[in-house]
Amino acid sequence: MNCLQFENALSDYLEGTRTSEQQAHLNSCSTCSTLLADLNLISAEALSLRESDGPSARVWSLIEAQLRQEGLIHQPSRPLLPEFFRRWRTAWLVPVAAALLIAAGIKLYQPTKIGDNQPIAKERIPSIPASPAVSPEDKDIITTVASRPPAQAAAYRNDLAQANAFIRDAQEAVKNDPNDFYSQQLLINAYEQKQMVYRLAVDQDNDQQ
Amino acid sequence: MSSGKCAAIAGVVLMLVGISVCAENVRKDLRFKVGKRPMISINNPYGPVVVRAGAAHEVLITAILHSDKVELDQSKSHNRVDIISHLLPGADPVSGTVEYEISVPPDANLTLHSDNGRMHAERLNGDLTLAGNDGPIEVLDCAGGHVHVRTLNGAVSLKNVHGHVEIMSVGGDVLMNGVTGTLVAVNSNSGRIEYEGDFGGEGEYAFSSHTGNIEAVAPAYASIDVLARSTNGIVQSDFSLDPKHAPFLVRGANSLSGTLGKAASSVKLFSFSGKIRLKKRQN
Amino acid sequence: MTDAKRPQRSKLSEAEAIERAKQGDAEAFELLYDLHKRRVYSLCLRMTGNTASAEDLTQEAFLQLFRKISTFRGESAFSTWLHRMAVNVVLMQLRKKNLPVVPIDETTEGEEEGTIRKELGAPDERLAGSIDRLHLQRAVDELPPGYRTIFVLHDVEGYEHNEIATMIGCSIGNSKSQLHKARIKLRDLLRASRAEKAGKR
Repeated sequence: MNCLQFENALSDYLEGTRTSEQQAHLNSCSTCSTLLADLNLISAEALSLRESDGPSARVWSLIEAQLRQEGLIHQPSRPLLPEFFRRWRTAWLVPVAAALLIAAGIKLYQPTKIGDNQPIAKERIPSIPASPAVSPEDKDIITTVASRPPAQAAAYRNDLAQANAFIRDAQEAVKNDPNDFYSQQLLINAYEQKQMVYRLAVDQDNDQQ
Repeated sequence: MSSGKCAAIAGVVLMLVGISVCAENVRKDLRFKVGKRPMISINNPYGPVVVRAGAAHEVLITAILHSDKVELDQSKSHNRVDIISHLLPGADPVSGTVEYEISVPPDANLTLHSDNGRMHAERLNGDLTLAGNDGPIEVLDCAGGHVHVRTLNGAVSLKNVHGHVEIMSVGGDVLMNGVTGTLVAVNSNSGRIEYEGDFGGEGEYAFSSHTGNIEAVAPAYASIDVLARSTNGIVQSDFSLDPKHAPFLVRGANSLSGTLGKAASSVKLFSFSGKIRLKKRQN
Repeated sequence: MTDAKRPQRSKLSEAEAIERAKQGDAEAFELLYDLHKRRVYSLCLRMTGNTASAEDLTQEAFLQLFRKISTFRGESAFSTWLHRMAVNVVLMQLRKKNLPVVPIDETTEGEEEGTIRKELGAPDERLAGSIDRLHLQRAVDELPPGYRTIFVLHDVEGYEHNEIATMIGCSIGNSKSQLHKARIKLRDLLRASRAEKAGKR
């Protein structure tokens, strides 16, 4: 084996595919053994680059500001807010938690093969809590919007009903095929919509206080 | 009394009423000096908010308050300007209306909130967040920033927008023309989603609806990797896509997947019962 | 407190912070950011070679993470999830700028032979003892973008070739061969830098 042949096979050598021919060449060729040692050293030293100094303080300021703009950071509650607003803070987690439950349930299943006509073993499906037409947290929000002009309150109830209908349909789809990425994505989208409906109701109510 | 005199008196009365109505409108002009990438936040429950790019380092606000049942709260802190239309007791959607015309630096980051008013943002390249109930939302000629739109039932229109776009709507239709970016995501319930453009920028385009129809019109040269599926609606395509293995099972649903050109951008069109159409632009 | 205990304690803190962040707790977001900012920033910096871009991409990666934090199910380590997100953010940016993410084969047959010919005449002087973090950092910054991506993802960040192939859309074989070429190129850059320093003395 000559040096050119060794270098052509060096990539595989470094990945662990080694022959006695290559080893013999290394034992007799200082140029190639130097090359190999250098490449190993570079690879080993590369780990030292894994963590450097952090970014400037400006980066966190921008992130925090953006999170506040998007409402992902909740402001501390004002003392005048009614109790059910404080409960609502975590109440929106209920649909998200349900989505997580469903996702966890999905992971319990073995994926079926394409073309497999066997029915899904339904008895294995964990019970997925159906989203009721009016859940306890919906009642609080409906009470909140009831004081608005009738047309607005009716529009709001309709939006909530649409969001719940989407959740129900998506839950059904996931129940029928828990491994289906598309149905899972629709369910996440449905919960995100309901979350948005809640947020806009609270924002509007805060405007009017 | 003659009819002419009656008419004249009626005219004077009407004029006086008109003057008294107009007299209730109060105009306020505000000016703020700001630095680079200022944060501008406008919260206006009732009434339109129109924001356009203007001079650097300066925010100019003209506000028309429709009654004394609403007042303007303003604050400026470092590089942030906050304007709130503060509703007083007895205010309603008519008396609480404030109309805003605003000029901001092109690199401003903007947050707009209005319940029923029109929101319009134009020629900006900062991050935009627009949230409302049923007023129309328009974003025009904006590039480089993140655009987030949330609405219950307002019609959303984006034209010539490039960047990172996320739109969520319950019943409002979403119309996009010439919108490209690293991510263009629309989540609608019953609102229609319409896209006309080339899906450029090697981005990810994800349009999803519950019952709203989804229609995308793209040119023949579009370079896309398409995944489209509707559980209960139909899926149609004018394009002959090169087949590819779909990552999910297809059971009793209407779907199509395939690639066009070099498949540079990913296009996902998902609906529960809306109709999905991928159309070829007619030149 | 011993170092052995410290990782366990921070693990607990991270889990609590994740749950609190899902509820919109500002302090929790900041804690998660502080725990992971160096690693994410370093990744962005190594892959772009530019501090301003690295900061922008760090910001973007964390924003994406925090927006999606409610979907984090704990099936993988949080750091793995974040890291993967950061890599995708950087790759998207490189694609946006039309910079090669899949490395272009820059060598020709003649050049490969030339490498060996040059080696035959060169002194057998190893790099050991003359390579440090700073020099290596500079050399990585000088790599062509495609080589830099592969090298950073594999040797610095520890991704396997099959993972890299999926992330950047190339074959496993391509990933391996381009990594090898990146290392060769780095070696050339380090040796050139050493020779330049020696020449100045």
